[in-house]
Amino acid sequence: MSNLLLSAVGTAVTIAIAVLAVGLVVFAVWYQIRCKKKGKGSCGCDCSSCGGRCHTQKKDKE
Amino acid sequence: MLKFALAGNPNCGKTTLFNALTGSTAHVGNWPGVTVDKREGVYKKGSVPVSVVDLPGIYSLSPYTPEELIARNFILEEKPDCVINIVDATNLERNLYLTTQLLEMDVPVVVALNMMDAVRKKGDALDSARLEKELGVPVAEISALRGEGIGDLMQCAYKAAQKKREGSSVLAHSSLSHLLADVTIALRGEGISHPLFHAVKLAEGDEEEVKAHPQQMQTVRAFQKQCAGEEFAGDLEAQIADARYKYITARFSAVLTRSAKPNTLSGSDKADRVLTHRIWGIPLFLVILFGIFHLTFGEDLFYLNAIFKIGFDVETGNDILNSFVAVFFSSAGVSSPGVILFNLMDFVCSLAGDGIANGVSAAGAAAWAQGLVNDGIWAGVSGVLSFIPQILFLFLLLSILEDSGYMARVAFILDRAFRKFGLSGRAFIPMIMGFGCSVPAAVNTRTLADEKERIMTNRVIPFFTCGAKAPILAAVCGAIAAQYAGINADLLVFALYLFGMAMAVLSVAVMRQTTMRGEVAPFIMELPAYHLPQFRSLMVHLWDKLKHYVQKAFTIIVASSVVIWFLSNFAWNWQMVEIQNSILYDIGAFVQWVCTPMGFGVQLGQFGWVFVVAAVTGLIAKENVISTFYVLAPAIGALIPGWDDGESGIGPVVALMEATGITWQGLVAFTVFNMLTIPCFAAAATVRGETPKGKFRYTVAFWMLTSYFTATAVYLVLSWWWTAFILLALAALFVAYIILRGRRAACRMRCGAEK
Repeated sequence: MSNLLLSAVGTAVTIAIAVLAVGLVVFAVWYQIRCKKKGKGSCGCDCSSCGGRCHTQKKDKE
Repeated sequence: MLKFALAGNPNCGKTTLFNALTGSTAHVGNWPGVTVDKREGVYKKGSVPVSVVDLPGIYSLSPYTPEELIARNFILEEKPDCVINIVDATNLERNLYLTTQLLEMDVPVVVALNMMDAVRKKGDALDSARLEKELGVPVAEISALRGEGIGDLMQCAYKAAQKKREGSSVLAHSSLSHLLADVTIALRGEGISHPLFHAVKLAEGDEEEVKAHPQQMQTVRAFQKQCAGEEFAGDLEAQIADARYKYITARFSAVLTRSAKPNTLSGSDKADRVLTHRIWGIPLFLVILFGIFHLTFGEDLFYLNAIFKIGFDVETGNDILNSFVAVFFSSAGVSSPGVILFNLMDFVCSLAGDGIANGVSAAGAAAWAQGLVNDGIWAGVSGVLSFIPQILFLFLLLSILEDSGYMARVAFILDRAFRKFGLSGRAFIPMIMGFGCSVPAAVNTRTLADEKERIMTNRVIPFFTCGAKAPILAAVCGAIAAQYAGINADLLVFALYLFGMAMAVLSVAVMRQTTMRGEVAPFIMELPAYHLPQFRSLMVHLWDKLKHYVQKAFTIIVASSVVIWFLSNFAWNWQMVEIQNSILYDIGAFVQWVCTPMGFGVQLGQFGWVFVVAAVTGLIAKENVISTFYVLAPAIGALIPGWDDGESGIGPVVALMEATGITWQGLVAFTVFNMLTIPCFAAAATVRGETPKGKFRYTVAFWMLTSYFTATAVYLVLSWWWTAFILLALAALFVAYIILRGRRAACRMRCGAEK
């Protein structure tokens, strides 16, 4: 019985790790898209306030 | 919501005041031109919230530069409720030139006399009541840096915003008064707002105004003809500037009472005599820069071990205690502060890694899941995290230089050298910003008026090693120093930083002689006074960096580590396999040959592709290079019996050196390739935005070719010194070709002009 329980816990942890890994990748991709939409630099530096991206978009439209 | 705009000369403290008002952490630098676009925040401490807009620094409201255009258009079109004109009280007369122009607009203006603490410290006295009377607008004394007088300033602005204000001009007492009055009345009749401002700009011959008001321009032209025989020969722009300065000198010079004799040198002037010396300036800069790298990356602090043989390993009989003591001392000597920080963080990461591994194992997770957590996610993240304190320490030292005002001097002293290669010292400012991150640096190139200079600067900004590349240098140089006696990590990092800068200058010189011919734009820069860096400002810089490093570690780096781990552990048929049968192995081995000339290709055998894969993942974010090493080292280690995979510190890089047999020359070439190649996606996208259409593909080609050929040359010269002669001969031929081509082009231009 205890072996069965341990095996079930092990399987649950394995599934949780798999879900976590996939979740992390999805989150990272979603975060990058969100940053780009908000005009924040995905490199992480503080360039959001200068609006560099918006200018880029405007320039492209022109 | 009320809207207040902050306007003033460059480096007068607008952004410092903006941060103090809104609680923002916008980048503040002790040099002109840090802000190149407007930014908004909210002031919540008053009775009603106010939207505060920080405008870029400007000297006038004529649209000569993009910053002036942004500031002018904002005030004219967005109609702020009040303009807070920040005036550097230590440079009163020059700053008031802009004030006289702002007063011509139909907008409430409040003058904030900033840096009053510096005025008082010098023993000078400024009669702000008299200034207020002369200007006809409220004047408040403040010190944005110390947060003094800001409440009073906002009260003045609140009051001013309640009333409408009609523009007034100091030119009303000049010979232009009748012309301006006539044009102003005519424009007001047309229902145009800010008529006085437009009238003055029309008289100055402002292109936009001439196009917008052709009828009134006829009045101006008629006046010009009348003045043709006078002092300024009808040049009304010069006449207006002269009238403004005469008025300022006559009315406002008495406002400031100086205590010291004008010939007495201030502390800043005395320091400048040494630091900006025409001969010693550049060597001193190099010494300071080396000092910074030594304190950050030096394994042997002040070379005490090399000189006095002070270096030892402490054996306590306890593994954890041994590891802790090794944080501070090693057989190489006493660690520098940067290395201590790295060792401490690495020690913490090792403990955390052990805890995670034990936890996952105890929970009974499957072997692949344990591998994913330990060798994938945690290895990748901890690889980057362990370098963060060391890199932050480097940024702290660079921020001290920046905030003290020294970096502005560096731009000044390098102008002479840069000019010879075809670049002005102004371009050095975005390049210095490139040491932090290439993205804001590329945005800052907007301030460069010359398009060719802007393109060239954007191309070479990534050569200035950014914060994301710093861990690559730290890990690789640390590993080389650990494996080869006689090579110092700090010296190697310093040499590579300098190499990047030298490559930038050399590239500009070549471009100036080939595709980017043209005159070097003149460089005029106001040198800010030296001051002690503010603790808060330094902490804001570091907090910003830390926040984004951590954000990046737990987003891009984690995702990349998971993908790399998956590709290195699974085959095309989705079966879990050893690394030599994995998807990543096939991809890496397929492109490995490309890197052979650079020393990390087919000569490295079956695991050499690790370096190619690391370089490719670095295109997403440069930190990925290190995280890829940390993820792949355990997988490779698993195949070699009795091999230590070196999970902590620079261990994985050392381990990969042993497994692949890469030489230190190959590793240096690998680092050079990563320094000069296409930057991360974000930086590349920003450079694309700042480059004229159609030019970006050449920029990408430039990065790829420069990095490939330079890394090859570095590998060849370091491996076989005599190849330097062959390369120098080839370089000489290339230079001769460029010179001949230049002469032919000049001759063709001359012939064309004669015809």
